[in-house]
Amino acid sequence: MKGTKRLEEIKEIIRAEEDWEPVGPTPMPHVPDLREWDRRLLKTYKPFYAPFCDLCCLCTYGKCDLTGTNRGACGIDIASQQGRMVTIACCMGMAAHAGHAAHIIEYLIEKYGEDYPIDLGNQVNVECPNIRLVLGMKPKTLGDLKKAVEYAATELVHVLSSTHTGQEGDPVDYESKALHISMLDHVCMEAADVAQIVGFKFPTSKADTPIVDMGWGSVDKSKPVILVVGHNPACSTEIIDYLREQGLEDKVEVCGICCTALETTRYSDKAKIIGPLSRQLFFVRAGIADVIVADEQCIRTDLTVEASKVGSVVIASSDKACRGLEEASERPADEVVKEMVEQRKHFLILDHRKAAEVAVKAAMELAPRRKEEKPLMTKEQAQEAAKACKACRNCEQVCPNLLPLSEAIQKAAEGRFEELRACFERCIGCGKCEEVCPQDVPIQKMFQSVASWETWKCRAGRGPVMDTEIRKVGAPIVLGTIPGVVAFVGCSNFPEEIDEVAEMAEEFARRKYIVVLTGCSAMVAGMRKDKDGLTIYEKFPPDFDAGGVVNIGSCVANAHISGAVMKIANIFANLPLRANYEVIADYVLNRVGACGVAWGAMSQKAASIGTGFNRLGVPVVLGPHSSKYRRQYLSRKEEDDWTVMDGRKKELVDTKEPTPEHLCIVVESKERAMVTIAKLCMRKNDTPQGRQIKLTHYIDLHKRLIGGLPPDLHHFVRTERDIPMFFKREVMEFLKQKGWQRKPVLSLPTLIGTYPSKVSVDAVVGGK
Amino acid sequence: MALPYHKVNVLTGFKAAAEMKDPKALAKVIKKAQRPLLVVGPKALSIKIGEKLFVEYLVEIAKAGNIPVCATAHTKGKLEELGLVPDSTYDIMEIINHLKDPEWKGVKGEGNHDLVLFGGFRTDLGNQGLSTLKHFAPHLRTMTLCRFYYPNATFSLPNIRKDEDWKALLEGLVEELKTS
Ligand code: SF4
Ligand code: SF4
Ligand code: SF4
Repeated sequence: MKGTKRLEEIKEIIRAEEDWEPVGPTPMPHVPDLREWDRRLLKTYKPFYAPFCDLCCLCTYGKCDLTGTNRGACGIDIASQQGRMVTIACCMGMAAHAGHAAHIIEYLIEKYGEDYPIDLGNQVNVECPNIRLVLGMKPKTLGDLKKAVEYAATELVHVLSSTHTGQEGDPVDYESKALHISMLDHVCMEAADVAQIVGFKFPTSKADTPIVDMGWGSVDKSKPVILVVGHNPACSTEIIDYLREQGLEDKVEVCGICCTALETTRYSDKAKIIGPLSRQLFFVRAGIADVIVADEQCIRTDLTVEASKVGSVVIASSDKACRGLEEASERPADEVVKEMVEQRKHFLILDHRKAAEVAVKAAMELAPRRKEEKPLMTKEQAQEAAKACKACRNCEQVCPNLLPLSEAIQKAAEGRFEELRACFERCIGCGKCEEVCPQDVPIQKMFQSVASWETWKCRAGRGPVMDTEIRKVGAPIVLGTIPGVVAFVGCSNFPEEIDEVAEMAEEFARRKYIVVLTGCSAMVAGMRKDKDGLTIYEKFPPDFDAGGVVNIGSCVANAHISGAVMKIANIFANLPLRANYEVIADYVLNRVGACGVAWGAMSQKAASIGTGFNRLGVPVVLGPHSSKYRRQYLSRKEEDDWTVMDGRKKELVDTKEPTPEHLCIVVESKERAMVTIAKLCMRKNDTPQGRQIKLTHYIDLHKRLIGGLPPDLHHFVRTERDIPMFFKREVMEFLKQKGWQRKPVLSLPTLIGTYPSKVSVDAVVGGK
Repeated sequence: MALPYHKVNVLTGFKAAAEMKDPKALAKVIKKAQRPLLVVGPKALSIKIGEKLFVEYLVEIAKAGNIPVCATAHTKGKLEELGLVPDSTYDIMEIINHLKDPEWKGVKGEGNHDLVLFGGFRTDLGNQGLSTLKHFAPHLRTMTLCRFYYPNATFSLPNIRKDEDWKALLEGLVEELKTS
């Protein structure tokens, strides 16, 4: 319950008097404000827990064994403990983006001032839909973005405090808090990326951003090489600026790993993307980088140790990852360069301008020496090294991706490298195999001999989806004739080959879904070529339209995907965004056929990004590693109640239709993932024509990848008009066997009115 | 306490699977079950044991023990090719979500299962699924047939290094199940 003083304060922050839209029911919400929405959502999509650890060791009463019906000394049970751990993970993820946003905004305010305007070009008028929706503010300046992050940070304190011993004690309430903080993660990501776009003049309001080179093979090793690693482009853009000023842009290679790579290519199309996170250790150990500039998030914690082994030097540029290094922010650049070059010493430099100068100068001095010092391992050398292997299998027992390394090494000793190459394709780059090898077999280095040095292509990230695009696709998405928006997001902890994301993305693009990508997934989508040597980015148009393949950008650009679905409700359906979260989330859940796919999700950020999508009503499909996140949101189609409100008649209707079936589900194989994605794009609002199209893909994929008609098909056919013409006869036959009966088709399905809420059913009737 | 083969599955707790390597003892547990279920995972389609695929042994076990089958991931087609029409298809987490409800009617509609056998999953995913059942499904027991020790099962094979040993165990189990 908010007091009147707080409400006054909120009004002031969001400038309630501005009349761009009426202020909705939940401006700058606290946890309780959307708790009922969460509880309604989780009534259908119940938290499903797979504990990763049976114990709790968070306070000195413990360790406590929470197995089964045991409770901890504080009274907590295993389900609540899972909710608690999920909440902590989401807080960590959200904090990483909030920290990123806060830093970028502060840095840009320092440069340009608080009043620096937000202008995303003439095609993006509904800028910052997340901030509009959640806070109720229409941000106009960098200062406004700062306010959004400050509000989110205060909420973080509340939610994180609930995980202290003796606070929250119910799994659903923990989930509600995780959902809340993850919704705010999208607010922070949006603030971060919008600040970056305006501050660094990243492309916006255009689809055809440049196609850039990707792969370690794309780096011109004859030049000085600077590798940027992490997520925050403040330092890497300074490096590009410095090179430009000095006329060195063509003389020094700037390449990146992880999201900083994506950001840097938004700034300079001469920058190269090495690849996703999983290639960090591989590339560092290759010793190609003369200088490594680390910023924040997803940087290997042993980066300086690894860099030292190959003679590379590291500049840590973020206070979030100082790595025990001596700070040289105030020292003269040339002095620092000298020490770096002569002693191969690493430094913490928090002044980005100085870090850029030092990085460039040090790289130019180190490059000539590197060429003599660091040859890559050849097949012959790898074969020789493999001969030390005693087949103890220690390596494969510690491999987080369960790879059959021992056999691969032994085959390599015989001069057969196919198995080793296959391991490299699946390797997530942790280095644990080498660490445990009693024979010191240099497994990571041996990967150099089998890694493909070919180059791939990636489209530079483009930021927000344009309003004009939303206008064009809004109707077909909501009616179902564009069968869905599929978002491939997240890290590179892939279960199988690195190109599985590319395969899945291409399948859905060919089927005329809208495919959007971010982060490491956006990179690996470009790491597969067809027989003509073309990658997905060269084959499909870059438009947010049926059959388009759109690289939205880095991890923080995920907010533009949630933003795009919000804008469908706003621009197409004329529903106000302003502080109107329940109505918009309800619209998305029931009417926007979008589905997220985090096939290699690894980080806590991926947990909060996905959970933020879930609160907004977007289901997410996860790869098998994600079972270790401990929690999914699953329904049971036969047993659960699928009653919704018919918004037009204001009557409760048992639709008997499980759409979308799950909100967050882990699946094991890419085949199952593709079928599940097609299924999770169905919505109650689909017209018969739309449902026919969606069912065509569901049936077709199921037949091809799993075999036969989907066994749950009858749940998704509402009337005969939903049945795809092409499969009519066999589907009719199947329905007869199942004793299928017609189900109601609603044109305005909504959960509003089915749970306690301030929002009335009338609020869901938009302009269309 | 036995250690799992893949270290990622190390038990951080106390309730661990009983290691079982005697086909007779395994068969006894299966035969005692009123409503067993075999859940088949996709690794069974690629793992070879000598000349045969793991999935072929799983089919033999299902047939010998008259055990209903749930096909997960993309295993349905191969099972059918091997002459076994699965009683249900779900993905692993969906079937586990059903199994943890004591009121569920089971794949045959005759009531929930009291013993669930698993074979052919990634060990990390499998161990996570088994964790759900260990904590939240006291009404059933679980058994794994892969060559790795799964701490979160009720009964698990030990880590088996040699193909021949695993093969002998599975063949022994099939034989034991055939004898009524
Ligand atoms: S927080 Fe509770 S369950 Fe955890 S160690 Fe302390 S008393 Fe035990
Ligand atoms: S570096 Fe790669 S192969 Fe080695 S343990 Fe890690 S994931 Fe496995
Ligand atoms: S740990 Fe080393 S010696 Fe043992 S199998 Fe692996 S590579 Fe061979």
